[in-house]
Amino acid sequence: MLFPTIEFGLFFAFALALVWSLNAHNLLKKWVLLGLSLFFYAAWDWRFLLLLLASGAISYLVGLYVEGDRPYRKAVLGLGVALDLAILGYFKYLDFFIAQALTLAHQFGFDPPLAFVNVTLPVAISFLTFHAISYAIDVYRGRLKASRSPLDIVLYISFFPHLVAGPIVRAHEFLPQLASARRAEDFGFGENLALILGGLLKKMVIANYLAVRFVDPVFTDPSQFSRFDLVMAVYAYAIQIYADFSAYTDIAIGAAALLGYRFPQNFNQPYRALGIGDFWRRWHMTLSAWLRDYLYIPLGGSRHGSLMTTRNLLLTMLLGGLWHGANWTYLIWGALHGGALVVDHAYRRSAFYRDVGAKPWVLVLDWAATFHFVCFCWLFFRAPSLDAAMQYLQGIVTDNGAASTLPAIVWPLLAVGALTQFVPPDSRFRLGEWLDARGLPAQVGFGAATLYTIVVMAPTASAPFIYFQF
Amino acid sequence: MSPLLRRIFALYVILAVAVFAFPGGLVSWLDDRNRTGWLDAPLGLTRAIDAASAAVGVKPVGQRLRKAFARAIGEDEG
Repeated sequence: MLFPTIEFGLFFAFALALVWSLNAHNLLKKWVLLGLSLFFYAAWDWRFLLLLLASGAISYLVGLYVEGDRPYRKAVLGLGVALDLAILGYFKYLDFFIAQALTLAHQFGFDPPLAFVNVTLPVAISFLTFHAISYAIDVYRGRLKASRSPLDIVLYISFFPHLVAGPIVRAHEFLPQLASARRAEDFGFGENLALILGGLLKKMVIANYLAVRFVDPVFTDPSQFSRFDLVMAVYAYAIQIYADFSAYTDIAIGAAALLGYRFPQNFNQPYRALGIGDFWRRWHMTLSAWLRDYLYIPLGGSRHGSLMTTRNLLLTMLLGGLWHGANWTYLIWGALHGGALVVDHAYRRSAFYRDVGAKPWVLVLDWAATFHFVCFCWLFFRAPSLDAAMQYLQGIVTDNGAASTLPAIVWPLLAVGALTQFVPPDSRFRLGEWLDARGLPAQVGFGAATLYTIVVMAPTASAPFIYFQF
Repeated sequence: MSPLLRRIFALYVILAVAVFAFPGGLVSWLDDRNRTGWLDAPLGLTRAIDAASAAVGVKPVGQRLRKAFARAIGEDEG
């Protein structure tokens, strides 16, 4: 069930009324929310419901044991995390590693009896695993009390607004919200309506047109396109992936808020970043925070000298890249970002940066270098394989001898996409307050007019959400 | 009306306006899932909405606007 579909519109309209009607009976409401979330997940493949429940059961049991000062609690935590990672590894990475092992073995003349497992990749497995690990580690660290309610744990992992593509809501941010009835008044209606409609606009218009009309054809067969088109398709993809992914999380955050649950912010105008470190504080912020808290800092962070910091940054970003998928392109994307973070880390501590880092021309160079580097990395992220990425880069160098076929629609889409980076961050709250102050006619008028405009502009063909595959 | 009911009502009205303005999508969606006839009733209702929307001229305006936008950006909807 995708967000911008009739299915989800009907599902959410039903869920909203049902959930709030049970608000005074919190336990029953949570069971209903769990039922709705499982139904949402089962709409893709009901067989993987067992996976969700198994992940919840592991988290629940590990949480109960690692709380307090029981013996071997570190080992039990390790076992729990290993089980979560084993499930992820089996479904997502096993075939990739078998392929690498076979390639390596063949190069040395061996033919090991290894066979591909060819399993279907369950939707949302990466997000599901991160949520499960977050809970176990938060309890272990004493940041959160272990929940005595398996219902709360399974609901935390499977809550439908964040289930498929985040944002990654950490256990200590979400579980306390399940403790009592929610107050609709704590969540502005206009603000969240604007967030959802803004998300629909970004996905259905900006991301879809860029994908269908330009980016997908260019990346499918880059040899047919000119150097200019190849370069422009990388910039177009940068806007597309932002519009696509931030749209998904905007709708998720808005939908959760309308149900009475608060999710963390996931994007903060990332293409305005000054430096790669700054980029990762603005892009997929919940993944960055997760990687920092549960991987980078446990590895030692920046506490043990520059060599260890370099190792930790590289390792964190390599694993962050691999988290996106079992493909060399994601590993290279992660390695490039890891390397850039090491350089950025050193640059921010240099005498040069201290002396001139705040001068306008340095800031302009800082922004330009960051933005173009991020776009360059997107090429690897988007390319279906390493060979395809190399062919793409070769086309940029040789031009392929083709004439430009860049559709005119791309320019205004790029302009609007760029504009989203300059909208004042509080404009959504101001618009929401303005709508709420004027009441029902303004809310309905704004909502209906915006939705009407989106449907008028949306293309008939639609590209799937990019982060669904992760 | 309580603030909560007001926001649920607002959301329902927004969705209803969208369905009335562009009923074709919901009709096709229900039709696709009605192999055994279990959706006959909602499908009948949606077809009535479709007819009403066409009769008062709302549906054709939406269709014309979609076609005009598609033409303006060089997308031929056929």
